[in-house]
Formats: sequence, C-alpha cells, structure tokens
Amino acid sequence: MRNGLLYGVLILIAASTVLPFVWMAFTSLHAPNAEPPTMANLFAPDRWHFENYTYVLTFRELPIWRFALNSVVVTSGVVLFQLTICSLAAFGFSRLQFRGRNAIFFLFLLTMMVPGQVLIVPLYLIVHRFGWLDTYWGLIIPYQYLNTAFGTFLLRQFFVTIPRSLDEAARLDGCGDLALFWHVILPSSRPALATVAAFAFIWTWTDFYWALLASSSTTMRPLEVGLSVFRDAYGVTRWPLQMTAAVIVLIPVVAVFLAMQRFFIRGVVTSGIKG
Amino acid sequence: MKAQGRSSGSGYLFIAPATVYLAVFSVAPVLFAAYLSLHRWHLLKPDHPFVGLGNYRALLANPLFRNAICNTFVYVAASVPLGVATALAVALLVSRPLRAVGLFRVLYYLPAVCSQVAISMVWIWILLPEVGLINYCIGLFNRALVSVGTTFGADLAFLRIDTSTDFLHQPGWAMAALVAMSLWIGLGPRMVIFVAGLQNIPEVLYEAADLDGCNAWQRLRYITLPQLRSTMLFVVVTTTIAAFQLFTPVYVMTRGGPQRTTDVVSYHIFKEAWLKFEAGMAAAQSYVLFAMIAAVAVIQFALMRRGMEREDVQ
Amino acid sequence: MRSLPILGFVVVVIGGPTACRDDTPGSGIVLRVSDWGSPAVESAFMTVERELQEGFERRHPGVRVRKEQIPGPGQYAPKLCMMHVAGSAPDVMHLDASSAAIFIDNGVLLDLAPLMKNDPTFDRSHYFENVLDITRRGDAFYSVPLDFTPMMMYYNRRLFDRAGVPYPKDGWSWDDFLAACKATTIVPAGARQPTQYGYNFENVMPFWMPWLWTNGGDVLDPTGTRASGFFDGPASVEAMRFLTELMVTHHVAPTLAERAALGGDAFLNGKAAMDLKGHWMLIDYRARGLDVGAVSLPSRTGRPVTVIYATGLAISRHTRHRELAWEYVKYMTSAAVQIKRVASGLAISGNRQAAAHYAADPADDVEHAFLRAVDYARPPWGSRVENYPYCESLGEEMMEDILYGATSVEEAVRRTAGLMDAVLSP
Repeated sequence: MRNGLLYGVLILIAASTVLPFVWMAFTSLHAPNAEPPTMANLFAPDRWHFENYTYVLTFRELPIWRFALNSVVVTSGVVLFQLTICSLAAFGFSRLQFRGRNAIFFLFLLTMMVPGQVLIVPLYLIVHRFGWLDTYWGLIIPYQYLNTAFGTFLLRQFFVTIPRSLDEAARLDGCGDLALFWHVILPSSRPALATVAAFAFIWTWTDFYWALLASSSTTMRPLEVGLSVFRDAYGVTRWPLQMTAAVIVLIPVVAVFLAMQRFFIRGVVTSGIKG
Repeated sequence: MKAQGRSSGSGYLFIAPATVYLAVFSVAPVLFAAYLSLHRWHLLKPDHPFVGLGNYRALLANPLFRNAICNTFVYVAASVPLGVATALAVALLVSRPLRAVGLFRVLYYLPAVCSQVAISMVWIWILLPEVGLINYCIGLFNRALVSVGTTFGADLAFLRIDTSTDFLHQPGWAMAALVAMSLWIGLGPRMVIFVAGLQNIPEVLYEAADLDGCNAWQRLRYITLPQLRSTMLFVVVTTTIAAFQLFTPVYVMTRGGPQRTTDVVSYHIFKEAWLKFEAGMAAAQSYVLFAMIAAVAVIQFALMRRGMEREDVQ
Repeated sequence: MRSLPILGFVVVVIGGPTACRDDTPGSGIVLRVSDWGSPAVESAFMTVERELQEGFERRHPGVRVRKEQIPGPGQYAPKLCMMHVAGSAPDVMHLDASSAAIFIDNGVLLDLAPLMKNDPTFDRSHYFENVLDITRRGDAFYSVPLDFTPMMMYYNRRLFDRAGVPYPKDGWSWDDFLAACKATTIVPAGARQPTQYGYNFENVMPFWMPWLWTNGGDVLDPTGTRASGFFDGPASVEAMRFLTELMVTHHVAPTLAERAALGGDAFLNGKAAMDLKGHWMLIDYRARGLDVGAVSLPSRTGRPVTVIYATGLAISRHTRHRELAWEYVKYMTSAAVQIKRVASGLAISGNRQAAAHYAADPADDVEHAFLRAVDYARPPWGSRVENYPYCESLGEEMMEDILYGATSVEEAVRRTAGLMDAVLSP
C-alpha cells in the first residue's frame, strides 16, 4: 500500500518532467508553418509531418552529420579531459597533505563563482593567441574552467567519504599514492565519476555561446550551434521546425544516458569493508 | 593506527594539471577582467582611460542595477532551498529498492540534458494563458470540480481557478515561473548527486539503527543527514552559484520583464557587453556579481564546515 | 571494466583534433566572407548563394570563398566585434544597416572610395543612391548595397474583400487606417477575443518606429545625440499612444498575450488584415497562398515616409586581400549576379538594373509600391548612431510596460527618453 503511494508520487513527478518533451516531440511533427499546438490539437494535426525530420536532416546547406561528429569529438574530449584532471586533483585535495592545501582548494572554488559572461572576451583573446580558434582544441580545452572546479569539488567531497580503512589496507600492502588512487579510490567512486562525466557531457553537448565564438567555419560547428539556424527567422517563429531541431540534438544525449544509467549504481565500497 | 596522508610533494603533483589549467584559462582571464573593470574600455575604441573605481560607483548608484541585484537575490533565496529540498526528497524516494527505479531516474534527468534554449521555448508554451499546459490543467481541474459538484448536487463553481493568468507577463508570477523552471531542470542532476551520496552511506549504520529501534524520521535525522554533509554542502554551494548566474531563460522568455521584475545581473552584463560593447563596465558588473556569490558561498561553507572537519578526522 | 569506453574515448579524441578543418587549400587564397544566420526560409536561397560564390571561384582560379555564418539573434555584431579585436576579422562582411554605425565609426571597415575611384569598371550610378548613402560618411563609402527593403504596409486582399473595405492607397491617413482596422476585426458573438484582427502589431522597435515618423516625430534629434525633446516630443508620444490604443482601446490588434497564443505572426496565419513588414516576408506570404498588396504607410504629415533596412558588402580594414575582396564585392553586387541572387524575392537588389528586372511586370503593384518608396525612405538610426540597438531594447521594454498597463504613455516615454540619453552620451 505504501509502495503504491510511493509509486504514485514517482509517476506524478515523472509525468511533469516528461510531458513537456512529449509536447516537443509531437509539435515537431506538425506542419512547419503551424501555430504552437494546444493540448487539444496536439495529437490531431492535419497529418503527421515526418518530413520535417528529413527536411532538417538533409537541409542542403547544413552538414548535419559533420555537426554530429564535431559534437561527439568535442564532448568526448571534454569528458576525458575532465575526468583525468579533476580526479587527480580531487585525490590530492582529499588524501594528501601539503602546504596551502585548503587555500588552493578554496581558490579552485572561487573560479567556479566567477560569472562566465565577461570572461568570454579575455578567453577568446587567449585562445586566439594560441592559434586554437576554429579548431577542435579551441572547442575542447578552454571553456571547461567551470567544469574543472566543479568536477574537482564534487569528486573531492566524494573521496572524503570513502573510509580510510581502505587506504590503510592498501598502504599496508605497499601501495604508493598513484596506486592508491588507481586501485582503491577510483573504483570506489564510479557513481561520482559517472556524475562528473554526465555533467561535462551535458554542458558541452548543449553549449552554445562558446561554441559559437570558437568556431567560424560551418564545418567546425557542433550540433547545437549548427541547428540554431532554425531558431533564427526574422519575426516568424516556426515552432515545429525548431522543435524538430531540438529533438534531433536531444536524442543522442538521451541514448547515452540510458546506456550509462548503470554506472550510477553503487560501487564496491561495502564489499571493500567486509573484505 | 590513524591513517595520515603523507606530507609530501606528491600532493602538488596530483593537483598540478588542474591548477595549471585553471591558471591559464580561468585565473588569467579573471585577472584581466579585473583590469578591464578599472577602465572605460569600449571594445572597438582605442582609448581606455583609467577610471579607478568609477565604474563600480556608477553601478551601485544606478537604480536599474540595484533592482537587478535585488531580483537576483530573490531568485536565489527562493530557488536554492526549494531546489535542494525537493532534490533530496526525490533522491530518498528513488533510493529505495523499488522496481524500475532506474527508469525514473533517467526520466527525471531529462530536462537537464536538453539545451536551455529549447527548454525555455517549451516553457513559454507551458505558461501561456488559456492554452498553456498549466492553465489547461487548471481548466481540467475546474471541469472536474463542476462535474463532481453536479453529481453531489452542489454548485462548486465558485472554487474554480481563473485560467487566464499570463504568468510570464505578470510581475511576481514571472519570477515564480522562473523559480519553478529551475526546480524542474535542476531536479535530475541534484537528485543524482544525492543518490550517489546516499549509496555511500554504509549499510552497517542503518542496520545498527534498526537494532536500536529507530523510526524513519530518526534514521533520516541522525544517520542520513549527517552522513550526507559533504554532499549537501556541494549541492547547496553549486546550486547557489548556478542560481546567481541565471541567464538563458531570462534572455529567451522574459527579457528582464515584466517591468524589470526578472531583470537579473547576468542579463544586465549581457546587455552591457553585447549591446553597448562596454567591456569595462561589464567587467565591473561581473565583479559585483562575483562578490555576491563569493560572500554567500563563504557563509555557506562556514556554516557547514564544522561537520566536514569531523569527517576528515574519521 | 573501464577499458572499452575509455579506449573509445581515446581513439576519438586523439583522432579528432588532428583532423581539423576539412578544407585544405594546398596553395591558393581563402577569402572569408561573414554573414548572419540564414533567414531559415529555404535552403534554396543558401544554395543560390553558394552557386554564385562558386562562380566567383571559377573566375579567380586558386581562390576559395569560405562563408562564415554567425547564427543566433543579436550575435552577429558582437562576434564580428570580437573577431576584429583579435585581429581575425573576415575579409568581406555582410553589413546590416541597423547596426552599421558601430563598425563604420570605429575603424573596422575599409573606406571603399579610393577603390571605387580607381576602378573604371565600377559605376556608382548602378546603385540606388539612397541606399548607397546609408553607409556613406562625407566622401567615404563603407559598403556597396547588396539588397534592401523599405518597410511597407501589407494588406491581405481577401480579408479586405470579405469585409467590403476598399484597398488602401498611397497618401492614406491614420483615420483611414483605423477605420480599415475596425472594419476587418471580427469578434464572433459571445467570444472574448477577436478571431481576426485588423493589424498585426509586433513589439519590435525596428518595425514600429516608422509610426513616429509618419506623425512628424522622431526617436532622436537630427544629430543623433539626444532623445529628450524628440522621443518624448508631442508628435512621437501621440504616435505611440495611437499604437497602444489599437490594442488596449480599440482591440483591433492582438495583445502580447494573444500574439503568443497565436504562435506569433497573425498576418502570416491569415488572421490579421494588415502588417508593417519588409520585402522578405513576400516569400512566406506566397508560400502560404496569401494574396497581399503593399502600400506606403498611412501618414499624418501629408507626405509619405518609411525606413529602409539594407544589407551591404563591406571590406575589413585589416584584410590582406584587398583587391580580391573588392573583386568579390563588385561581383556580388553586379547586375547579372544580383538578378540570380534575389530571385527568391528575399529583398530588393541594391543594383538598379537587377531591381528593375523584377519590376518589369507592370501588373506587379507590390514590387512597384516598394520601389516607389526608395526615393523617400530614410536610413535607420543604427546606421548613424552607435548605441542605437541598445535604445531599441529600451524602447521595446517601454512598450511592454505600457501595454501591460503599468504606466501611462507620457510617463513611460519620458523615462525612456532619459535612459536613452544616458546611453547615447555617457
């Protein structure tokens, strides 16, 4: 009975998060020039315009598959980069002692609090100086300063909760710092690492402003920027096509999430203690 | 034997990559922005006269900017506690061994993976008067009310709620809509972090509590919450930081209206930098925002840090 | 456990960045041309552009034209600005008259006058003088007209026929306009709001600003340094009050909320009888099968007036391919190329000959109406005044305040004029 109530609540919340997307998906199949559908006619357009998708996907001036490739490359690069430097730094902050540790950690956090807007200008100039404009490096490396502090912070908070008893056991076995990091801490942190990866993935995949700045040629654009063309009519809001573009950008993310879902499940902490 | 991290240089090695990275791509631009904020720096004009704190003085004297600061605080004060509390509540729900729990987690995460611009457009529709989702549901409720009334022979029509509220264009409602939207978007990520934190709590503690005959509330208060301190600090601080920087929904949906009730500082910065090209003034505004964020974050840390220290010594 | 996905990442990441841009001009020059986000109308227009660019490449072997599109509302000018600051501006730029001042007055663009003078194949009289003058500063010319549109009043002929209202004619007055609005607004019995409106008002200042001119008012003083006395002058206030009363008092135009529910453009959806728009809308109107006419704006001064929005081609001051860029500009604005380029009807060509090509049909009164307006149309303030776009955002905020009943027209206008002053001369 109690479980029933619980399920009810969960389903209600799920409905609220999913319903707008249902609307989005159905709207994307309405006539391109139609007004935004109401709940009444959402499921009853004149006909289902599946050709909206072929229209967007084969829009001749937009190399959509290239956009998708760019998004994949850039996002993978960001995720890999983030996982590496954040986990290393978080390990240092949580497990090792050195002078100025807390001060430097706080500085990390400070960088997270700086509003991104104005940093774009100096960042752009720096990236230009490196010659990275309009290249993958320019898209992957620079804008992650926000992610880095965030990822380090999150992982550090995590690592701190991993019981020291695991450390002790490892050290008794003769593990050095790096081995401790690799064999003990990382495996116990799958949910946290997955979370960092997830955040980095989402932020990069849906990023618009930096991607717009750092890429000039159409061929370097990631999906979000490339498809924003459908958002831009002068005074004509073509809801259905915009929703089509939004759905197209959304589907890969959802797919990845469904696949990665199991990484969010608990790690091997308890087995470590019992062992 | 108490485990102590060895005091050694290896710590520096581990944090080196991230530190160098931040130094180049974060600290350097931040310092340059500080420099900018002390000048009148138009992006295209050649002279950049030094004005010291002139920009800051002008800002704080500007009633529009002060209004933006107020709005930002209101938004943060509303969305952070609500957002964290709902995320925690849902995380607790979703951590039980229920079937299909994984599916629910993915569904709750959906709003966060979509681009903010697309989400904002969908919410414009949700908030429309009469035909928008919210008003439509209210309409359904009204009809249900009336039919329930007629079955029992009572006239419940007076309980009906008006469906013509144009949320985005009424002062007060617009801000509420933005807060609701932030809850909806942020639920997934925050919930996931809490879930991960919950999973790290050793089962042993709960088993011991059961032996002592604790009820659910006591378990929550004496075991779960204290164990979640690190995670809680993280979620609260990051949610706050993000809330201070609210931008895209304002840009797409309200443009600072109605009557400047949703005009937040980051939107001001955007207009200053990209409609007037005044990089110096925009930098000064950013620093004011930065100061606000840092102050609040420091307070949060101070309040929650005591618990953290206890854990370090575990 | 983690090997396979990590391996996958590594392969993609290492392979990725090494495969940079896919264009590898071994030798030869790359001419970079920037443009703002596509009109999202049809890929046909973009295809034509590309074909024309390829035509240019064929005439200049070894040259590649690379189009750099900058999408995103309001992102064009800022991004160009940043590129200029970093020294990475493109060679040729599409220049929007409404935001041209910031580039012209800050040394971003090359003065084309010397190039024009030394080139016997270039003739200024090929272009509409009014349009050419938009980006002129004394003897210096900063762009060559590509295409343009005066803003005109469209009317839906079918809706007028059904209401039994005669079509508007040049020289009509505000009263004529209001009468037409009322006659074409349909409110079914018992309904709360109209199912058909007289006028599709949009709170976009570039679209409603000309109303001030039709009453003899203006946004700024003639030197463009001050708004007080002009934006809050009696003629301007009267114009703005007239507009707001269309929605608030007469209910012949949709309120902002009603607009949102209609999905935006009531005229396009056949639910409004008139709209103040530019030539580009003809493509959409025809695609929808609307039968439209165009007429000059209703005026109270006895003389017609409207604004011209134009696009020109400009050359970056720091380009390293000056002559080539000039060749490109001449090519794209030449009659033959222009005829192909504006075939879709997106705008009127800045080249007289090409424009005349499309006005050859004496029965095409829409095209003729537009062309008649070129002679008396005024350039937009954004082509003369740097911070004008910011003033426009202030104007739009003000209009929203008024429409939501927050303040009276006079008060709102006076306050906004003060804010504009602060922006124009800080």
